[in-house]
Amino acid sequence: MADIGKVRLRVPSSIKPGDVVEVRSLVIHPMERVERDPQGKIVQKNYNYINKVIVTYLGKTIATFDTTQSVAENPFFSFTFKATDPGQLKVQFLDTTGGRYEGTVDIKFS
Amino acid sequence: MTDGHGVTRRTVLIALGTLGVAAAGGLAAAPGTAHGQVFGQNESVEEAMKRLFGGKTIKDGSAAIKLDIPLIAENGAVVPVFVTVDSPMTPTSWVKHIYVLADKNRIPVVTRVTLAPDAGRAYMGANIRLGESGDVRAIVEQSDGTLLQVKRDVKVTVGGCGG
Repeated sequence: MADIGKVRLRVPSSIKPGDVVEVRSLVIHPMERVERDPQGKIVQKNYNYINKVIVTYLGKTIATFDTTQSVAENPFFSFTFKATDPGQLKVQFLDTTGGRYEGTVDIKFS
Repeated sequence: MTDGHGVTRRTVLIALGTLGVAAAGGLAAAPGTAHGQVFGQNESVEEAMKRLFGGKTIKDGSAAIKLDIPLIAENGAVVPVFVTVDSPMTPTSWVKHIYVLADKNRIPVVTRVTLAPDAGRAYMGANIRLGESGDVRAIVEQSDGTLLQVKRDVKVTVGGCGG
């Protein structure tokens, strides 16, 4: 699982000032499910899954996802933001083991 | 006898208890869930709704909310969901939260999206897991506190929640 934490971001190839832009983000992560023992009791342990996704653009938070184990493995999230100025869009993924994975993309106008 | 033995046992128990609380706290505190507890819990959807929204009335939002999810999900492990809400997204009126709940999942709360007006459009998409066929709800909380809900029945051929 060397790929854990690989983040991919996709934005449209041409963005104009003022556009509302859709971004697709993907992170490679196992998103561990709840395990049960043969008696059907939940195994108590610190499951490794992403519980927070933070999207910032020009340093301002525009969207936050609080997620649970009901989100699929290698989760995909999409969202929009209003492109006002060129700058950096950053998506951070935080998991329950303290892992922090981030991807950035520079927003430029063409 | 009561002194030595009893006290030790109690001390051990207290110590264990503290450890347990610390462990739970660690889980919940991992980047601050607003409720100060684990955001997704094993509970019924009614309990989850009560925990998240209290007794507030939830209106039908089929006019404003578009919930895009396949009617038949062949693989419950990966089900794409998209929610779009009709909203001006201005600093005076915007969509604050979009919740996605899956009624039949053991952890019914799937995600809560917190949006800022800068998002431009009230929109979110994610891949979720569905344990079995059942309703999937999208609940929207607007900046003035109004709650709107739409739900859609999704058939799942192969479940995706091991837990």
